[in-house]
Amino acid sequence: MSKWVNAVTPRVLVRAGLGVFLSASVMGSAMAAGKFEGVGRTATPAEIKAWDIDVRPDFKGLPPGSGSVAKGQDIWEAQCASCHGVFGESTDVFTPIAGGTSKQDMKTGRVANLAREDFPQRTTLMKVATVSTLWDYINRAMPWTNPKTLKPDEVYAVVAYILNLGEIVPENFVLSDKNIAEVQKIMPNRNGMAADHGLWDVKGKPDVKNVACMKDCKKEVRVTSFLPGSAVDSHGNLIEQNRPIGPTRGLDTSKPR
Amino acid sequence: MTTISTRLGRLIKAPENFLAKEDVKEPVQMRRKFLAASAATAAGAGLTVAGAARAASNPVSGAGDPNILELPAHSVGLGMPVAANGYGVPSQFEKGLQRRESPGLTRVSAASVAFTPLQGTFGILTPSGLHFERHHQGWWDIDPSKHRLMINGMVKTPKVYTMDDLMRLPSVSRMHFIECGANTAMEWGNVAVPTVQYTHGMISCSEFTGVPLSVLLEDAGYDKRNGKYILAEGADGSGMTRTIPIDRALDDVIVAYGMNGEMLRPENGYPLRLVVPGIQGVSWVKWLRRIEVGDEKWATKDEAIHYVDLMPDGTHRQYTGIQEAKSVITSPSGGQILLDKGFYNITGLAWSGRGKIKRVDVSTDGGINWRTARLETPILTKAFTRFNIDWAWNGKPAILQSRCIDDTNYVQPTVHQLRAVRGTRSIYHNNMIQSWRIAESGEVSNVQVG
Repeated sequence: MSKWVNAVTPRVLVRAGLGVFLSASVMGSAMAAGKFEGVGRTATPAEIKAWDIDVRPDFKGLPPGSGSVAKGQDIWEAQCASCHGVFGESTDVFTPIAGGTSKQDMKTGRVANLAREDFPQRTTLMKVATVSTLWDYINRAMPWTNPKTLKPDEVYAVVAYILNLGEIVPENFVLSDKNIAEVQKIMPNRNGMAADHGLWDVKGKPDVKNVACMKDCKKEVRVTSFLPGSAVDSHGNLIEQNRPIGPTRGLDTSKPR
Repeated sequence: MTTISTRLGRLIKAPENFLAKEDVKEPVQMRRKFLAASAATAAGAGLTVAGAARAASNPVSGAGDPNILELPAHSVGLGMPVAANGYGVPSQFEKGLQRRESPGLTRVSAASVAFTPLQGTFGILTPSGLHFERHHQGWWDIDPSKHRLMINGMVKTPKVYTMDDLMRLPSVSRMHFIECGANTAMEWGNVAVPTVQYTHGMISCSEFTGVPLSVLLEDAGYDKRNGKYILAEGADGSGMTRTIPIDRALDDVIVAYGMNGEMLRPENGYPLRLVVPGIQGVSWVKWLRRIEVGDEKWATKDEAIHYVDLMPDGTHRQYTGIQEAKSVITSPSGGQILLDKGFYNITGLAWSGRGKIKRVDVSTDGGINWRTARLETPILTKAFTRFNIDWAWNGKPAILQSRCIDDTNYVQPTVHQLRAVRGTRSIYHNNMIQSWRIAESGEVSNVQVG
């Protein structure tokens, strides 16, 4: 191609009506459309529909439909309870779904138990601020061994059942694309998220400012935390997790200490 | 051993002779016998305490070391032929270094973590087979000829790319660390795990090859005025999804298929994953199937229920992603025992999600006095930097620490400084200075100091 262009003067090309073609060749790197000729193709509407399943907090992407708490319970008991427990309380496989929220939290939009150091577990409903998150996740990733098999109405029903477990909606509630925005207004932790921190932007401001002291930086060194005796061999025999050569060996933690 | 060597030495034909298949087997068998004997010796040595361990590892008595005086099988026999392993594997003596789970950390191994054995890695690249694993709904080995990447949303032309397409495009190769946001999570409240594999092993560093995401976004004609974020989505059951700001996406993010000179390993997203330098691993979506351009954040499960950092007042920080500057001494480190008094090369790793490592200081007295370590090259942005420093152990208790400074002049903090702001229940983004206590016995243990 370059040989051919070199061999023919621009004047000849322009006369032949090929001026545009020439500049495209020379300016190839500046071209926007068609820069990577033959690479990629336009997605079809059906393809986009098949994959573009995300649902945002403003409910963009939420398909129309509805599901009742009662229907949700049926689906739950058949497909969810073996991992999550009938009431979403199980800790055997995953952390509990419901519990730890109150009517007062629904008013304030802040889950009070989250501030308690002594509260044992954070359930899903204690943390989640956006009901869209529940819908999106159940739709894309549940059930655990069979994800993306629930129909939209079934997803609505399961979300309704979870909301009922958390006493956010009543037993006779039917969740739909029409009323989901109203549910958002009573989500217990809807005001519990903060984005005013330095860990989102690469130029964000760090929380703490340590100083690189080099000499006599403190008077004494106090050990404030040791590995508990029970944890010494909790990860297996450490001698087997290190090389048999080198400056060190792994500790033989199979022996009583 | 001597007898065996001599006998086989006589029996084996000279190397220039063409060996029959049966003959080739002989050195292998011989080698196995030799290895069995050595392994027993090594295990014996490991069981002893510091001084004795050294004596066993470098013994000399009488005329000298029998390992020198009596020629080993490999010096007097024929070795293995080429391509005996079509894809090479580590020496059988290296079996101790494996990815391992932390018992009790997770309940389901398909949604769990396997930690990289940092106690045994060298330099700045993590062997692909030891790259840490974190899956949210199990891993797959996807047929690359059927894998597709879609770009849609606020773009002029929604696009579909095959792997053929992506691998035809201009590529870049860059070394970056990937660290799970929950690395060192178990140590927020108190010391909980014994070794650097479990305190810091949710991190690896590799050379990634792929197409800059900016190239694909341009190709699809993304909306430069209104497109503020992208959503990256995985093809696995979890359909992992994470929001990334568009300026980050256009900066140094790579749609990667290569890792350390070969294709990605299945556990690391084969055939396609996102590389988001400096940002926590969950955003490096594996088995990447789709990029959507949008004007709002998505608040997906892994940015609204998990990967949210609990603050002392009960607020959760959402969309935390940057992995701030952090370092750790990898040898000597927790769960190890020093061979004896005397010289050691303290070595470790430092990294920053905001740029390059500028300096690493090391203390051997629990943070009273510090010395600046040597940094090995290359020193790359958002990549591991290896540091080394000489040390002579006098046999007295010591506490080793490392503290890094990145090119924003941010100094790695103490756990107490972090706790003062974030409390002890934050789980994510613990980049505290790590302390290893060395006892008089030479045993190294995980501690926190004030």
